[in-house]
Amino acid sequence: MNSTIVIPSRRTAIEKRKAAGGKIAAVFPIHYPRALFWAHGLLPVEVWGPPGAERAPAGSHLQAYTCDIVHAGLGFLLSGGLAAADAIVAPHGCDSLQGLGSILLDFIPPAQPVFPFYLPRAAREADIDYFAREIESLSRQLSSVSGRTPSRDELHKAITEDEAADGELERLWERRAELPLDNQTLYALSRARGYLAPQEFCGLARQAQAVAAPAASAKTVVISGVIAEPAAMLSLLDRAGIRVGADDTLCLGRRFYPAGRSDDPYRRMAERILSAPPDSTRGSAIGERGERLLSLCRRAGARGVIFRLVKFCEPEQFYLPALRRALDEANILNLVLETDLAAGLDGPSQTRLEAFLEML
Amino acid sequence: MNPLSSIAYRLNVDLIGRAVLRLERLRGERALRRHGDRPGPLSPPLACSPRLKELISRHYLRGRYASGHRPVAWVTSGGPIEHLQALGYFLIYPENHGAVCGIRRLAQDLCQAAEEAGFSRDICSYARTDIGSVLSGKTPVGRLPRPDLLVCCTNICQTVLYWYQVLAHHFRVPLVLIDTPFLYRPAQPHAVAYVRRQIEEAIPVMERVARRTLAPARLERVLVESKEAVELWMRVLERGKARPSPILAFDEFIHMAPIVEMRGEEDTTAYYRVLLAELDRRVAAGVGALRQEQRRLIWDNLPIWYRVRPLSEHLASRGVALVASSYTNAWGELAPLMDPRQPLDSLARVYLHPILNRSTGDKLRTLAQMVREYQAHGVLLHSDRSCKPYSVGQMDQRERLGRELSVPALLLEADHNDPRSFSEEPAAARLDAFLEMVLS
Repeated sequence: MNSTIVIPSRRTAIEKRKAAGGKIAAVFPIHYPRALFWAHGLLPVEVWGPPGAERAPAGSHLQAYTCDIVHAGLGFLLSGGLAAADAIVAPHGCDSLQGLGSILLDFIPPAQPVFPFYLPRAAREADIDYFAREIESLSRQLSSVSGRTPSRDELHKAITEDEAADGELERLWERRAELPLDNQTLYALSRARGYLAPQEFCGLARQAQAVAAPAASAKTVVISGVIAEPAAMLSLLDRAGIRVGADDTLCLGRRFYPAGRSDDPYRRMAERILSAPPDSTRGSAIGERGERLLSLCRRAGARGVIFRLVKFCEPEQFYLPALRRALDEANILNLVLETDLAAGLDGPSQTRLEAFLEML
Repeated sequence: MNPLSSIAYRLNVDLIGRAVLRLERLRGERALRRHGDRPGPLSPPLACSPRLKELISRHYLRGRYASGHRPVAWVTSGGPIEHLQALGYFLIYPENHGAVCGIRRLAQDLCQAAEEAGFSRDICSYARTDIGSVLSGKTPVGRLPRPDLLVCCTNICQTVLYWYQVLAHHFRVPLVLIDTPFLYRPAQPHAVAYVRRQIEEAIPVMERVARRTLAPARLERVLVESKEAVELWMRVLERGKARPSPILAFDEFIHMAPIVEMRGEEDTTAYYRVLLAELDRRVAAGVGALRQEQRRLIWDNLPIWYRVRPLSEHLASRGVALVASSYTNAWGELAPLMDPRQPLDSLARVYLHPILNRSTGDKLRTLAQMVREYQAHGVLLHSDRSCKPYSVGQMDQRERLGRELSVPALLLEADHNDPRSFSEEPAAARLDAFLEMVLS
């Protein structure tokens, strides 16, 4: 049933965009206003690693204790992996991403212009006001690449499309139990949100939801942490008949942005990001993070949580002990897998994962 | 305020504690006069060192009896404290406490206590030291008072926010966040306005927890005192430009404690006047911190707290003086931005601009300027596993220092508080090779 959904690859999406004379912005993690890029006519393509990226070129700029996503991202850029991009966007996601944005501006400027911006770490009125101005400032910078200054109507149109795509993504996961999609396909489709045009994504998401089936009983887990990779992990879950019922990863579930409220487009984009589910990198209260995770487990009927961490990811590591305690108290099994992206699902991790699944 | 707590505070801090600490200081001063001038490459310690010890000990003694007598706030080291001081808060800086634990060689045990509670060894060792201390109750300063309020400012790193969320979850007390946008480029007006607004909106929370109203006159007094202390501290640091330098960065690491956690207090200002006067006497007499100063280096990043003394002695034995550091400089360089007549505007600018909140290129310019002004022969860049914002960028900074300014620089891998992340022999070998080059 999965085979009916053809999900274009990242490369295909980029080539298609380029062939049509469009421009691309490569965007490092984590949070950024997607709609703004569309209003500028730019295709935002996210750079989370990627897992197979050449890391060696980054070794002469970053210490070994820098987060692997930053290492892989810089290695990929320096080895020409982002050559198709017309701009590099470096959101402030954590101390390591801050360093990445800064050294790209100061020491190793790529051929493309680099646009950093700061994400406030709370959701007070002051934060929303500031972030709205920051997004407006980013928009002025993007104009130098897009050659456009989006009108208010163009911004609103892009926001409406973006909100629709996020709505479809969230619905996909809400209806997860009744959709006959394996874990790998569901994640491939969800991650395509990070490089497809919103309309195209909406079409695929609706197509996936069109084939509903009676809820099949399956043992269910929630994936938390940074990113639901490697693919081998999802494949192992599929083979074991385990369904990922909900996602709480930085890369996906913590970016289910609700629709904004404001009439001012910049403020609306700010509201959306700052009212996303609780997130360690945005400095959410630990209690809120715990409640969110437990609520996802309850909703999905999950009996276990897999924390997929990336080495040296401080925000996740600080929250982990309290989250695990909360899960223990709720009798929800949990497993921490922490490896480099490049390591894939190594032998010891695979053994631990298999043992964990057996316990479920 | 609890009357019994206040009586205990007055008795133990103001009467007995003050007298005992004063006596200890006098003993220390006498011992320095009699035995301070020992043979070796280092000159006698600064005569005001016992006074510093008295000041710091009294601070922690106050903390020991503060609960119930004064409101207590735990604050990040770069946080805005002037309003808290004016409201009568007793302030604890977990990072400073972490440094004390590091110097006293207790940090490793505390880090392990945090790790046993599930915290990864990869997170900041200050945070692990603090969390370990909170969980185990162990501290070399007697007892830390429980916070009534947490104040976290992100101008030194984002790590402090996650760390303070752990503390807020543990203590169940309000957490005030002052979020300071990182300055990839010069600050834009909306960033300054954002910080100003947050400081302004934090005041009612501080007042509510303290059950007091902020008196503007009191705030201005604190600001004046704070600015004077910061200016004095900067003048202390600038004495390192003299040849020979009367003070080493290793001394500054210790003497910076009051400017971090007691600025705004009269005793702090008084102390730095004494320190400055002593340095001026040394400069006038041509007395250096080393008996034979041959070469001068700049330090970048936090100290390696558990190796301050051995490293100091090792460099001294080679005639190498560490005459300044970007770390201690951070608490002085922003003095010109402080304006007691415009508290909110000037504090917003001050707290937005610490070195750790500025770009990697800006930090390189700061280092290059320090090399010129202090006539340094090289730079030691402590690549600190626990401090990503300070360390990321150092590899390019080292390369630029060498290529563009012909200044040799060494990247020294360590961790500021966890000795398990420091390999003595490889580090010593790299350092010796670097010193040979600098001395040649």
